[in-house]
Amino acid sequence: MGGGIWVVLLLLACQSQAHAHMIIEGAGEILSGAVHPLMTPSHLIILLGLCLLLGQRLPLDVKTPLWVLAPASAVGLLVTLSGYITVVPVPLLAGIALALGAIVAWGKPTPAWLCRLICAVAGVAIGLDSGVDSGTAWAIFKTLAGTWLSLNLVVAYLTVCVSHGGEKPWARTGIRVLGSWIFAISLLLLAFALRK
Amino acid sequence: MHRSSIPSAGRATWFTLALLFLLPAMASAHTETGHIGGFVSGFKHPLTGLDHIVAMVAVGLWGAFLGGRAMWALPVVFPVVMAFGGAMGILGIPVPSVETGIALSGIVLGLMVACAARPPLWVAALLVGVFAIFHGHAHGTELPEAANAMTYAVGFVISTGLLHLAGISFGLLVKWPWGRIAVRAGGGVIALIGCGFLFHYL
Repeated sequence: MGGGIWVVLLLLACQSQAHAHMIIEGAGEILSGAVHPLMTPSHLIILLGLCLLLGQRLPLDVKTPLWVLAPASAVGLLVTLSGYITVVPVPLLAGIALALGAIVAWGKPTPAWLCRLICAVAGVAIGLDSGVDSGTAWAIFKTLAGTWLSLNLVVAYLTVCVSHGGEKPWARTGIRVLGSWIFAISLLLLAFALRK
Repeated sequence: MHRSSIPSAGRATWFTLALLFLLPAMASAHTETGHIGGFVSGFKHPLTGLDHIVAMVAVGLWGAFLGGRAMWALPVVFPVVMAFGGAMGILGIPVPSVETGIALSGIVLGLMVACAARPPLWVAALLVGVFAIFHGHAHGTELPEAANAMTYAVGFVISTGLLHLAGISFGLLVKWPWGRIAVRAGGGVIALIGCGFLFHYL
């Protein structure tokens, strides 16, 4: 689990570099797309919640959720190519994180269908919110491919890392505390968004 | 003899995780010149009032004092319910006698520790939850308009969590006889500070 935590730390430490929806200068399109969900706090909190939720479930099953997340995120990303939707409203992203935080903090066994549903919604939402503003069609496609690869790989890897601590009582407690923090952050974010 | 089930390396890792969670946004907050907002603003907010600090430390202290499930349940309940209070404050939904509630939280939670009270977990959680509403509402109401919502919320919640952690760390001293006295004395001090705020001496 230690390695996974360091990866989480590294990802969270990158947030301040966020330049959402733009191709980062000096980075290749695929790399630029790959770092996008990791440097967008509203995406990262959903991904973290997803990893905690999936890693909390025993026995570990990464394959089934990924069979849902991968196509769902691909659909969301491909829809942005149409140009009609490139941004998802903040309350929707906050609502997804809120649900994830609540389920993780609750700590009870989650039905498989609920996990699949959340994976689908989260995948589509993050995909739709990762539209690229400018560039040639090929550059945009490569950027979106990078985003798709990274968000699925991150979820798979961190889920496995979280699951390693799943049988340790202190780690399960830590996971639930993190879930409560995600819930609280999302609720405040939702209130901010509704106020505006 | 009771021994903690948390390996020291594991504890250190989780603590490091909590600390490093705040690094990125802290950096960006420095770049937000001209704006009151972001992570630093959120992180500092719970630390700006002694009445808030003592109550949040008391939650962790009481949780550790009660031991078992209470040690994590109370620090989970508090930020969740506090976020509800914060949302009410942000949305302008009024809550009566907020300042009195905050002062009372210090008194009641401090007295619980000082008197070594051991109510059922649901009673403790209910009590902590009720007081969390007042704290959250006060923070939500005082929030500047210009604050960066996401990083503000992250800083705010992490800061609160670290205050609970400080209380839990102190509360773990109850394993030793002298530590039990120190923890109960700490509860007494918290109750006195709460009285100071209630009667406007502080």
